Amino acid sequence: MPQASMIPQPVRIRSATPHTSRDVHFVVEAPKGFAPEPGQFVMVSLPGIGEAPFSLAALPGEGTSDGCFEMLIRRIGRLTNLITRLKADDLLYVRGPYGRRVEWDQFEEQNLVLLAGGLGLAPLRSFVRRALGRRDQFGRIDLLVGARSPDELLFRTDLLAWAARGDDVHVHLTVDAAREGWDGRIGVITSLLDGLALDSARTVAFLCGPPVMYRHCLRRLLAMGLYEHNVWLTLERRMKCGLGLCGNCQMDGHYLCCEGPLVSWREVRGLREVV
Amino acid sequence: MNSPPGSVGTPIAPFPFRMDNEIYRLPRERLDALIERLGRDYRVVGPVKHGATWAWTDVRPGVPLALDYPTSMLPPRQFFAPPRETLFRYRRDGDGRFVFDEPAAERPVALIGVHGCDLTALRVLHAFHESSCRDRLVPGRLDRSFVVGLACWTPCLPESFCRDMGSLENESPASLYMWDIGSVLLVRVQSPRGREVLKDVTALEAATPDELVALRKRLRARPDAFPAQLHFAPERLATSLKAAEADILWEATADRCLSCGRCNLVCPTCTCFDVCDRASLGGAAGERLRSWTGCQVPGFSRVAGGHDFRPTRAQQLRYRIFRKGKYMPERYGIVGCTGCGRCATHCPTHISIRDMFVQVGKAP
Repeated sequence: MPQASMIPQPVRIRSATPHTSRDVHFVVEAPKGFAPEPGQFVMVSLPGIGEAPFSLAALPGEGTSDGCFEMLIRRIGRLTNLITRLKADDLLYVRGPYGRRVEWDQFEEQNLVLLAGGLGLAPLRSFVRRALGRRDQFGRIDLLVGARSPDELLFRTDLLAWAARGDDVHVHLTVDAAREGWDGRIGVITSLLDGLALDSARTVAFLCGPPVMYRHCLRRLLAMGLYEHNVWLTLERRMKCGLGLCGNCQMDGHYLCCEGPLVSWREVRGLREVV
Repeated sequence: MNSPPGSVGTPIAPFPFRMDNEIYRLPRERLDALIERLGRDYRVVGPVKHGATWAWTDVRPGVPLALDYPTSMLPPRQFFAPPRETLFRYRRDGDGRFVFDEPAAERPVALIGVHGCDLTALRVLHAFHESSCRDRLVPGRLDRSFVVGLACWTPCLPESFCRDMGSLENESPASLYMWDIGSVLLVRVQSPRGREVLKDVTALEAATPDELVALRKRLRARPDAFPAQLHFAPERLATSLKAAEADILWEATADRCLSCGRCNLVCPTCTCFDVCDRASLGGAAGERLRSWTGCQVPGFSRVAGGHDFRPTRAQQLRYRIFRKGKYMPERYGIVGCTGCGRCATHCPTHISIRDMFVQVGKAP
């Protein structure tokens, strides 16, 4: 008899706000006992259409309205096409959280630098919120955000609010290309590292973005002297089960749905198919 | 399986043939009685000849078991993780909300006539599922099943190299283990449950000294029928493969690969699956299924946004061989290839895992 954990639970959408032309920001009522850590993910489905893994843009109780979690879902395929048409009070079917629970105690007293490329800001948003929620546990916090164009910058309200907090978190933005009217920086995300004086021995980095971003950012961060165990990547794969069984997320024998997606470079260095 | 927990996933040690084991006679005509007895508690399956091939088939008394079968195309794992399986059914209730029903519990399965390679595969499946995060489905089925092993006297397929992989002599996990010595079947009891079943089928008549001598003679002569092909111990595979990381080493063979995924489907130790929904017209009801897929199928390692982390055939081939020869022994303590020869036999371009093992074994 198949185990119950692949059966999803219905959860009510509190709000569904169009975010960009293809992203929708969902605030969803969390199922009972739902207590994920940053970096974990949920399987979201619509019966009859399918199921896919999604990362969490905000965790319950961390700057969210009561008992809700948030997701940013991009219209990219059949399932997300339908999900992004849902409205407040509609139901989503969710199971999880899945993935490794990375303990945040180990990051205490450290400086944090978060590098988000494109949609990678969605999961890292929950990291920023976690860090700001325990602000006095950490040193300096830098958030580096890269987007293709100003139009594709996600979570602008949050970025503005964070920027307004002064020394709490230093927000740096860059876009690959821009039309007139953008007076910010133009360039790839690694260029944001140029002006940054990191205290390399006590800085922890979190990366999430497209595969190409990992390669370049990794190289730069390590060259800047960050320890390998302090560089954390979220290796998102197309998980089908979340239980360490279906094999779709395998990387050199590691099942990323259980051993990841959040891994440190020291743990995966030398493995193939990482980035 | 009735072997003690933990014994299933451990590396294979040849089961010593000892005279003091409980070895009983099972006259061939009592096979029907065995099927009948097992049928009371289990769904009974065995090898049956269909035209020119043999396949694991539901049997009842009267259906002739092909105990001389030269292996099946689809491995016994089909009964523990079926090719396509309903995870749950869904339907809309009065409020338009989906409700979910788990499928009813199925009967445990009894397999009669499992060769050493496939017994080994059951150990691999057990070891994998035991160590994996949260699934109890497949291990539960393995634990509830009843397995009757069967000794081989000749290689099933030209591609078989079970002796080299240590699975020719593997006799567990099986509650009963059979040798067909021509005149009669000799059956060794390997678990209390096995004795319980056999007792109901025969009078537990011990094998005669002559029969035991004949059995010993055949067992002593058996290795000659299985010439060594690997020339190194399978435990060395992980180390040898470590030196064969480079894509270029796999490209020549991968050039022949059609990405059809047959090797994955016929493999007795493959475990990967896809999940998809099948909806009724109108979408008010349906089911979520899991179905076999594999690392050789295009798109298997593709992620949202279109990036593929293992895009080339060379990488995919390398991955399959590494999974069997390196990752599984390293992670689950048991080599993932049993030497059954199915993948090479059914590959349309004759890509042979044995040849690749031989190649990496030769490397310094």
